[in-house]
Amino acid sequence: MSARVPAVDPSQVELACEFGPLRLQSPLLAASGCFAYGQQFAAFTDLRALGGLSTKGISPLPRHGNPLPRICETAAGMLNSIGLENVGAEAFLREKLPFLRDLGVSVWVNFFGTDFPTYIECARTLGNTPGIDVLELNISCPNIKHGGIEFGTVPEVAHRLTRACVEVSAAPIVVKLTPNAGDIVAMADAVRQAGAMGVSLINTITGMAIDVRRRRPRIATTYGGLSGPAIKPIALRMVHQVARAFPDLPICGMGGVLCGEDALEFLMAGARCVQIGTANFAEPGACLRITHELRDVMAEVGVARVADAVGCLQAWPAEAELSG
Amino acid sequence: MSAAQFEARVTANTRLGGGYFTLELEADAPTPVAAARPGQFVMLRGAWGRELLNPRAFSVLHAEGPRLAILAKPYGLGTRRMHALRPGDPLTVTGPLGVGFPDPDPAIRDLLVAGGVGLPPLHLQARVAASAGLAAQQELFYGGRDRSDLVMLDDFANWNITMQLATEDGSFGVRGRVTDALRPRLIQAQAAGERVRILSCGPTPMLAAVRHLGLEHHVETLLCLEENMACGFGVCLGCAVPVHGPKPYRYCCTDGPVFDAREVRWP
Repeated sequence: MSARVPAVDPSQVELACEFGPLRLQSPLLAASGCFAYGQQFAAFTDLRALGGLSTKGISPLPRHGNPLPRICETAAGMLNSIGLENVGAEAFLREKLPFLRDLGVSVWVNFFGTDFPTYIECARTLGNTPGIDVLELNISCPNIKHGGIEFGTVPEVAHRLTRACVEVSAAPIVVKLTPNAGDIVAMADAVRQAGAMGVSLINTITGMAIDVRRRRPRIATTYGGLSGPAIKPIALRMVHQVARAFPDLPICGMGGVLCGEDALEFLMAGARCVQIGTANFAEPGACLRITHELRDVMAEVGVARVADAVGCLQAWPAEAELSG
Repeated sequence: MSAAQFEARVTANTRLGGGYFTLELEADAPTPVAAARPGQFVMLRGAWGRELLNPRAFSVLHAEGPRLAILAKPYGLGTRRMHALRPGDPLTVTGPLGVGFPDPDPAIRDLLVAGGVGLPPLHLQARVAASAGLAAQQELFYGGRDRSDLVMLDDFANWNITMQLATEDGSFGVRGRVTDALRPRLIQAQAAGERVRILSCGPTPMLAAVRHLGLEHHVETLLCLEENMACGFGVCLGCAVPVHGPKPYRYCCTDGPVFDAREVRWP
């Protein structure tokens, strides 16, 4: 049996932490697709208290997104098929980045293309712009066609794509992995060997909901990405598997984090920082509330530093040890 | 005044018949929702735990100081839970959100066209007009399946606002749809050279019919729309509205919910 660790005073808890070469003031970041480009939240919350934020996915050219309906709520979660709508790289750099840069928090720019040349073009444009701390390479959005899913599910393709982006970007690349991949550890290994600084996981899980009265899928593209607490156990399992396989690879964990205890679960599973996504929709101050809660729950369980929480998970004793 | 998120408690849950109910809420202090314009909305979420994540959007029926009220009908999981709320129960409120209807204009007669739970923006528009001494410039066209679908008529009567009521079963007002009452009024206005404007909110099929009538008669027509939304403040991008123009979509929550009928790209 593990001994109970004494609590520490919340004021003694240090949230500042490291993620690869980055120094974060908190391990909590707002997740891509759930925070737009940040401005909308300024009216509701103190963005400067975040560890950082990841922007809506940026493509070389603007995208208008998918037909309606685009979202629906499901048990403990929601499905979305927005279609990676975004302002495009040029407008992002001109109109959105200055605001983010001035916040003084870690700026992660999520980006994607539709094929190798557009991915690389985007990595080159964004990855050499001052004020961007991380390029989050999105190889995992389920909501675009053109075989986009291959980038996220075939390790060899992900490896080549990651390498090509790493080569043209001054900013470190963190690859956002999809849970729809067959073998998440093999995917993490492929992008790690291609020079990715770290990995983000998980993106949404492909799902479906049906309106039986209208005999129609509840979203126009039939399938969408499931997010929210419904996917948290799967996300934790995948973070844990990747962390165990590659203890030195920085992992940004996410999937249904609604409170401080959820975030601490991800740290204990092996993530070094945590993104908060769907929670921001209902509560624009969610990231800040969760920051306070994380401090309190770390204090309660006797973890004074984020690094001490990361991977501190203990296995249950094996049957032999119990009877021995 | 910009939107805020705050906690409020239910002070009354009043059944109006036909399944409709009003929820009256009160916060600890005056809220920015008190400045809401007709058509603006709030996102409401109860203590729903992890099962139901997202708040629900409701047009502001009335708001003053720390108090606000909405009209609803049990439809899905969220509205059914709200129907069961009792005085003292907490709700998280975000608002006021969106862009509402324009102010009443002494030079224009507003034809307020309502159906179902689309009444609140027009009820608030009528209230605003009445308090500005412009009740005579407002006319309500209100339709439902039967008598129980027409609620809060006393308020309009008290404000001295002319009403044309329609029920599909003929149990109250004229038999037919609200557009059956609206069409002759538009023809009359056209013949008299009268300046009118349509403000409408209700079920999408009704709005589609109102839109066609307005366009056909070249009358300025403003539609207050509803779409699924997770956030209500321009982040989730779930509530896209198809529009004509350089971009194929605008957003119900931040560009609307009030849109010009000419802009909306509907069949």
